[in-house]
Amino acid sequence: MKALQITKYGEIKDSLAFNEISKPTVQANDVLIEVKAAAINPIDKSLVLGYLDALLPLKFPSTSAYDVSGIVIEIGNGVSNFKVGDLVYSRVPQEQMGTLAEYVTVTNDAVSKKPGNISFEEAASIPLAGLTALQSLEYAGIKKDDKILIHAGSGGVGSFAVQYAKAKGAYVYTTTSTNNVEWVKDLGADRVIDYKTEDYKSIAKEVDIVFDTLGNNYSLESFEVVKQGGKVVSIVGPLDESSAQMFGMADYKLPEELAKASSDKDADYKFIFMHPNGAHLNDIKSMIEDEKIKSIIDKVYPFSESIQAFTHLASGRAKGKIVIKIS
Amino acid sequence: MEELIKKIKSKQDLSPEAEAYIYSISKKKTFQKGAELIRQGLKVTKTYFVTNGILRSYCNDKNGKEHTLQFAIKNWWISDYIAIHNNKPATLTVECLKKSSVIEFNTEKINKMYALFPEFEPFQRNTLERHIVSLHQRILNQLQLTAAEKYDLFLEQYPDIEQNIRNYHIASYLGITQESLSRIRVEKAKR
Repeated sequence: MKALQITKYGEIKDSLAFNEISKPTVQANDVLIEVKAAAINPIDKSLVLGYLDALLPLKFPSTSAYDVSGIVIEIGNGVSNFKVGDLVYSRVPQEQMGTLAEYVTVTNDAVSKKPGNISFEEAASIPLAGLTALQSLEYAGIKKDDKILIHAGSGGVGSFAVQYAKAKGAYVYTTTSTNNVEWVKDLGADRVIDYKTEDYKSIAKEVDIVFDTLGNNYSLESFEVVKQGGKVVSIVGPLDESSAQMFGMADYKLPEELAKASSDKDADYKFIFMHPNGAHLNDIKSMIEDEKIKSIIDKVYPFSESIQAFTHLASGRAKGKIVIKIS
Repeated sequence: MEELIKKIKSKQDLSPEAEAYIYSISKKKTFQKGAELIRQGLKVTKTYFVTNGILRSYCNDKNGKEHTLQFAIKNWWISDYIAIHNNKPATLTVECLKKSSVIEFNTEKINKMYALFPEFEPFQRNTLERHIVSLHQRILNQLQLTAAEKYDLFLEQYPDIEQNIRNYHIASYLGITQESLSRIRVEKAKR
């Protein structure tokens, strides 16, 4: 089968290639998916560039991408929750990475039936960003009438988080640049802050939750806007101590300033690792079918133009997700 | 089952032998919400008479989106007649939208019944004609009614169904977007 593979770390155009590889075989708990569409996320680009070598070292060649939608064409003998012919979507686990291919095997508990009211392309755009947003906001215990600041409401994770928080009945502040203000408002955000002309810190104050999708200074600044006893969840900031311990970094300490800010505000800081989860995708399916959440696609590329899709991703200019139609 | 027999008897005389045959080829069954009675791509051997609940037949297009052909409530028949007639794999999936009770018939045995008991002919013809009428009406409605008119008609045809099904089921039945459906509802509320 045809697959887009990472052949080495380096520039996108030099490090990705189409290869003919053998079709994967199902293990007991796997489903084999005929891929209809895949989507790429910032992590896919970072993997090619070698930025994640320490955390997620690759063996070359390695088929790229995690997000997928398609049709189940075979199931392992331990699978009872899916049938051949099911239309599904998934964020595949790390060890099964490789959705930019004609077929992919996925452990059944990372898979869900896809929403019935959207296309394969739209469905493929959801899993990674959707699971990241859902798991972050659920960790923060989001509930009705909470005030939340979501950074970068126009990003893949941010745009999903805005809609998810609204569906939960929260009051949503979000930041974005001038060009994106209007469509981010359409996602339902209560107060869209144009960071080019406004100071978000003077607008979003005493919030219950900050969802940090930007990192750098924003992680620390989160504690300036969060209320006493609030929560800061981050997907790009420094690791928190318990997450670091999970990775075997026993001596890891939270950066001093962040630890102090967190303690001064008695506000919990948590780094969220998205984990593949079919049950969560099933929850998202219902929300999409009930139109509480929409997929936002920047562009759909044919499989043959996957490398151009990566270049577009790397440009950082996409408004919404970049999807690749496989078949 | 008694209701179906009563329904047939209201249209024609039924001999005790014919009645016994109907009992012999049918099975009462109850399915949970989400159960699939017919599945797109697989062989179809059954047809269903609904005694309680709500079922839906739909197909997935090549882009993976669902299109609803029919809802079936109490006293409606549902199956994949395209597949049965052409002896091909199912083009539709039939699923329960809530816990539903049906009388299940084997399609081959139904065909045999018409040969064994020609007395069924008027009932069969009547059922088929009503089916054709409703299909023609649905096509004409799709061609000439506005989305709002189609929605009004839907509510008339399927009273009380709305609370039990999802908006996208209705939108995909009417051939309109969910956004349009929401707009129509808002307009309707203002009326």
